[in-house]
Amino acid sequence: MNPLCLMENVKKTFRIGEDLSVEVLKGIDLKVDEGEFIAIMGTSGSGKSTLMNLIGCLDVPTSGRYLLAGREVLGLLDDDLSELRNTHIGFVFQSFYLLPYATVLENVLLPTLYREKTAGHVERRAAEILKLVGLEKRMNFRPNRLSGGEQQRVALCRALMNDPEIILADEPTGQLDSKTASEIMNLLSDLNKKGKTVIVVTHDATIASYAGRVIHIKDGIIIDE
Amino acid sequence: MNRILNILSQALEAVIALKLRSFFCTFSIAIGISAVTIIVATTEGAYKKAFDLVEVFGPDAVLIVSGSEESRAIARREKTLTLADADAIRNSFGTAYLVVPMSSVHDVNVSYKGNRYSAPVVGTTNDYSVSWTWPVVEGSDFTEEDLKRAANVALIGNETMHELFGDENPVGKFIQVRTIPVQVVGVLQERGASMGGGNLDNRIVMPITTVMKKLQNESKYIAVMRVRFEDIENLDFHREELREFLRMRHGIPEGELDDFQIFASKDIIKFLVALTGSLIVFVGIVGIISLIVAGFVLANLFHLSVSERTAEIGIRRSVGAKKRDILHQFLAEAILLTTAGGVLGFLFGYGGAKLLQKLADFPIHFSWKAFMIGLLLSWIIGILFGLQPASRAANLKPIEAIRG
Repeated sequence: MNPLCLMENVKKTFRIGEDLSVEVLKGIDLKVDEGEFIAIMGTSGSGKSTLMNLIGCLDVPTSGRYLLAGREVLGLLDDDLSELRNTHIGFVFQSFYLLPYATVLENVLLPTLYREKTAGHVERRAAEILKLVGLEKRMNFRPNRLSGGEQQRVALCRALMNDPEIILADEPTGQLDSKTASEIMNLLSDLNKKGKTVIVVTHDATIASYAGRVIHIKDGIIIDE
Repeated sequence: MNRILNILSQALEAVIALKLRSFFCTFSIAIGISAVTIIVATTEGAYKKAFDLVEVFGPDAVLIVSGSEESRAIARREKTLTLADADAIRNSFGTAYLVVPMSSVHDVNVSYKGNRYSAPVVGTTNDYSVSWTWPVVEGSDFTEEDLKRAANVALIGNETMHELFGDENPVGKFIQVRTIPVQVVGVLQERGASMGGGNLDNRIVMPITTVMKKLQNESKYIAVMRVRFEDIENLDFHREELREFLRMRHGIPEGELDDFQIFASKDIIKFLVALTGSLIVFVGIVGIISLIVAGFVLANLFHLSVSERTAEIGIRRSVGAKKRDILHQFLAEAILLTTAGGVLGFLFGYGGAKLLQKLADFPIHFSWKAFMIGLLLSWIIGILFGLQPASRAANLKPIEAIRG
């Protein structure tokens, strides 16, 4: 079976000035199979966020190869990258990033707005997902009336809305207390058991312990699995 | 279709959420659009009024007025036209189907059974009603016979009728004009205000012979003469002919000014356009400036808004929004706001124009045209000034947007 993500000698260089550039990723080889639960660990500045952006197609490698679901990402147009994100990736961010003026339901529905073919009954599906995380009674609330843990659960529902293969979580518990954090991690574990591929970026070993595989990154290279 | 509805509903939510921005954008556009609305309404009003007047004046008519241009300018009207001039024109111009001499006396005291009123009396021939396309609604016009024997008969205007008679039927009754008893033979149709705001419905129309002999003590000179021609297409030619004809009759040597003036309906249009022109220029400048300012206010507020909403843009991009989705969203917001501004501006303009009409008696006419022009302009501004911030939002890199 083909791996879901396959990176070969991926490098990423950022230009800072006229002739000053920094190589953040210095040759990453990474293979992620469907159904894995992976933690990417590293200190800040290690390149773990850049790696996450590349996996999530928010950015493209400077060189190397990256196949996502069998498709070469390098050289794709911006529109194609958007479409890849829309269908294959569900993002969860440290600071939730919910739209403040939209309701919980509208936030969860956000990815469906940008789908090429809109499946019917999207609202029913959103309601079902919200029920899964116990927020069915909060559907018409604005985010500012929810606790941090609840907001992150809404964000998780949004990530699941288009039924992507990969859930990509960047420090998903960074702004939560440890009890709420473990609730969120348990939800991610449950999703993984149901077949979702989960990739968590963190610097917290407790969070990483939920994962089946931990990848350590330092100075732009993978040092240890 | 679904996509457009989505974009619009997303834009509407943002418009409602960002109230202060929305208020300023809408308000500044509204000011500009209201100015434009007033311009369009005034222009249309002026033209409509002009054409209405031409209709009344008669597109085939010219008006010859006693006195040179200079003497009119200093408001000292000397009488130079005569009844004989009128007869001569009637006999010499084959296509002049109506030649109607007129003389008027202002503020004549009239009364009926103790009801007193002061009205202008117009002396004219029995063709008055036909000549001004002004129907007699009750009774009938006076006759040629009345004219010949300088009979004491009159047509009265609608207002004079109400002032003197109340609900009583005036036809056949005698009124006192100064000290002369005059029989009312007919009532003129209600006409409303003239272009100068003057009242037309208070006049009393009598045979010119009666007016000259009994009110003016005048045997020869008249004030005005109206000539209508069958061949409209030769009007300019006839006008020039009339001028030569009258100069000759009055014995004016070459090089000296006419002692009369000739007006045609063209002159009315010119006059009205000049009257409203200055207002249009003034309001036009105000309108254009305020629309440009409104555009920049919009652009600036949207730039600010894009900066404030980088996280939102980032999250939309990360869930799969394409550049054009972001572009369309921000453009839709801009257009929604300017549309609201346009509609509000139209309402302001409507109110302002009505006020102007009341205060300065400007001809105002509202039509869909004024509304559509305002709306179209507001859309143009929305797109023109919204495009730059919207494309900045669209071109934010997803990773930078998410980093906040």
